[in-house]
Amino acid sequence: MTKYIEKNSQQLFLMIVIVIIGAFLTIKSEYFLTPSNLINIADSCGYRLIMAVGMTFIMASGVMDLSAGSTVSLAGVIIAWMLHAGAGIPLSVVAGLLTGVTAGALNGLLIHYTKISFFIITLAMSGMLRGISLIITGGRPITRFGAAFMTIGTGRLAGIQISVWIAVILTLAAAVILNCTKWGSYIKTLGSNPEALRKCGIGTAGYRISVQAVMGLAAAITAVIITARLNSAEPNAGMDMELDAITAVAMGGTPITGGKACISGTMLAVIILGIIRNGLTLMSISSDYQQWITGFLLLISVLVSGIRIKNTRQNTQEKENE
Amino acid sequence: METETPLLIINNIYKSFGHVQALRGASFSAPRGKVTAIVGDNGSGKSTLAKIISGCLKPDSGEITINGRTYPSLTNHQAIYEGNIGTVYQDLALDNLKNAYENIFLGREDIHFGVFLNRKKMKEKAAALFQALAIDIPDMELPVGSMSGGQRQAIAIARAIDMDRQILIFDEPTSAMGMKETQHTMDLFQRLKDEGRTILLISHNLFQVFDIADRIAVLDKGRFVDTFSTAESSPQKLHDRIVKKEMELEQ
Amino acid sequence: MKKLLSILLAAVLAMSLLVGCSGTGSNSSTEDTDEAQTTETEETSSSVVDQMLADVEAEMDSQLGEVPEKSAGEKVGILISSTSNEFWATMKTRYEEAAADADLDIEVYEASAEDDAEGQLDALNTMVSMDFDVIILSPINGTNLIPGIVAANEKDIKVINLGPGVDEAALEEAGGHLDAKITVNFEDQGKMVAEDIVERLDGEGQVAILEGLAGAAQSEGRVKGAEDVFAQNEGIEVVASQDCNWDTDTAYEATRDIMTANPDVKAIFACNDNLALAAVQALTELGNSDVLVYGVDYTSDAKAAIEDGTMMGSMTYSSAIYTKAAISMAMNLAQGGSYDEPLYLPLTLVTQDNVADMDGWK
Repeated sequence: MTKYIEKNSQQLFLMIVIVIIGAFLTIKSEYFLTPSNLINIADSCGYRLIMAVGMTFIMASGVMDLSAGSTVSLAGVIIAWMLHAGAGIPLSVVAGLLTGVTAGALNGLLIHYTKISFFIITLAMSGMLRGISLIITGGRPITRFGAAFMTIGTGRLAGIQISVWIAVILTLAAAVILNCTKWGSYIKTLGSNPEALRKCGIGTAGYRISVQAVMGLAAAITAVIITARLNSAEPNAGMDMELDAITAVAMGGTPITGGKACISGTMLAVIILGIIRNGLTLMSISSDYQQWITGFLLLISVLVSGIRIKNTRQNTQEKENE
Repeated sequence: METETPLLIINNIYKSFGHVQALRGASFSAPRGKVTAIVGDNGSGKSTLAKIISGCLKPDSGEITINGRTYPSLTNHQAIYEGNIGTVYQDLALDNLKNAYENIFLGREDIHFGVFLNRKKMKEKAAALFQALAIDIPDMELPVGSMSGGQRQAIAIARAIDMDRQILIFDEPTSAMGMKETQHTMDLFQRLKDEGRTILLISHNLFQVFDIADRIAVLDKGRFVDTFSTAESSPQKLHDRIVKKEMELEQ
Repeated sequence: MKKLLSILLAAVLAMSLLVGCSGTGSNSSTEDTDEAQTTETEETSSSVVDQMLADVEAEMDSQLGEVPEKSAGEKVGILISSTSNEFWATMKTRYEEAAADADLDIEVYEASAEDDAEGQLDALNTMVSMDFDVIILSPINGTNLIPGIVAANEKDIKVINLGPGVDEAALEEAGGHLDAKITVNFEDQGKMVAEDIVERLDGEGQVAILEGLAGAAQSEGRVKGAEDVFAQNEGIEVVASQDCNWDTDTAYEATRDIMTANPDVKAIFACNDNLALAAVQALTELGNSDVLVYGVDYTSDAKAAIEDGTMMGSMTYSSAIYTKAAISMAMNLAQGGSYDEPLYLPLTLVTQDNVADMDGWK
């Protein structure tokens, strides 16, 4: 039992935070604990969860992607452009997804072969991708794709937006992939000790490129949902979305140095951020506070996971001294 | 027996890093079933040589022959799966966040249903391996990062010798160990030697390797300068000869 | 003074005719103009402003028609862009003042940043799940709030669009509608500046335009309004119209380039005050103080520049009357009223001639 708590301390911490914030908001606002508001929260978390799940993969592999938000923008613009060119929904969506996968794979290629910090690579890519969006659109949003396409963003299944169902399915799939497959296992070692992979005869290029492509795919799925939801694709869509995702992943307990992935933590963190956003709106408190609260929670949760890592290290040293 | 072709031959290997010449025409052979120690001072090129044999580095020129097959260079994968070489690296090459059996099977996992890791099977096989090697790992689910240096080393060794690797390379195996752990590792070497494996032991500690090695090859400034049989020498004699050689060279 | 007022009010009249508001509105404006022209008494600056505000309000009221003065207990939610922009911070204060005057219960919501289109939609969705009678919203872009508006329509919450427009064709496609709309006509902003330029140059001379951002409705509207007026005057030649991406450095460089290539340029219309001030900076460094520089927004920096004579003028409007009108519309809608046509806020051009009288403008 203690072992279980120790192992899942991050998730427990996040659940306690949810309960505390939830209780506070229930007292403060009569609208918080209503079915329609809870559905609202779920709706607003859907695509953010998809982004954060993608980011969990690459943070487990020791990398952050600062170009993910720009990838959302470009994939959205490509989808919009294809739809307006009359390519039809399936083809347009596939083109958008391929855009994301390509952008991600390119990130992976550059990170692997240039040995330059992922920080610089993805920052440069971010500028380039958003630049392409701006060039294609001339800075103007592309709007109106018809009711059928909008269904992807606003349609509901059992009262909950389709995007939320997609997010849930992808989250479950991600948990299985990260915990139960060879690929997921190598992705994590890519974060904690890529040299160990190589020394065990495993080429790392394919894993680096494919995991970045997964992030690109997640960004592109987000782009499909946002474009359909807003019925428009704009070059500055997805701005700073990568930072929200990184915040959620770090808060969820995936170490920023990689090696481990905590999908359930990511999911709980996305829910917390969603509840905070919703709660501040319900209480009509300036969103300036949201930044503060988010920063504060991030700090606390990183401290919680940091203390755990420190304890582990101390144990190691004690054993070595024996 | 003496006429038998050596299992591993390296021929005229050159390797430089920028302006630094690490290896300048190193040639060497490791006979089957013997423990060969490669000794030399810091900067003599021992580690570079170990990395070239295990496939981590690509030599500038020269060739490597394993069991009659010649390569201009090896990848890690070729070294392990074609050359049948198991290496215990100085840094152990373990994923500290993975547990013992995940590290043992890194790169050759048991898979079921086509995609899923068969943890149960790997755990069983690892337990059997540890038992056979008299290695004590109390918690198979614990990340190796939270284990002692000796346990971590034992896991790295177990991984290297699993699957009946013909050639084992140990790069500075006891450099970061206490006395008790060093003794345990030395016992393990003895058993591997008794099993008839071909072992390359990279070390800077002449006295330590003397007990275990059959032959000692001395590497100096990127070249092999001497090879002895331990039966015909003593640590003190060997030490004197190396120091003398260095003094001659300096003059 | 008299001349200025008449120009102003004539412009208001011209605008109200252009946007095709109700006939009575135009008539009342005309009367106001006549009245102002016949007023000979010297006025103090605050009473000038009060008069201007009163005129604007009268014009606004004529568009609004019959509206309730006081709240009947409605709940009104207001969604703005983000108070990180000074303009919206002011609007929030004005909303709260207007609501207090009407004893109305309001809550003001916002996105976390001016470009947080998704966050603004989340806020709207949350507002829809609360029991507001009316929501007044100012979207970050033309389409980001559409799903939320559709949801509000389904719950019979009246929706008023203030300021930046919702793409109504896209909204209709999604099965939603707006119940009312109040906005500023960007084209008229450009038009009024251009008319002032034409008059001051006596219809002769080269002019240049510093555009805001390609695709931004404010910028494109202002540029089109100005270009239309310039095109109607044969003596006026637009020698350059350059996109500055709302960036002051770009505007500075552009001004230097334009003046080097066309030393005879007599007036520059910049799509906002920041660009205009950058142009002033460039002109000062070039030693040229004869060019008439105009901006839009009437920021505090622009006000200072107009006062010390480096800028000629800036477009403004009354945020107090803007929000008051929106609040009145909200109460009217809640009490069964309706608006078939969009309402346009009267605009005001502040120049070197009247800037001294503008204290107290809100």
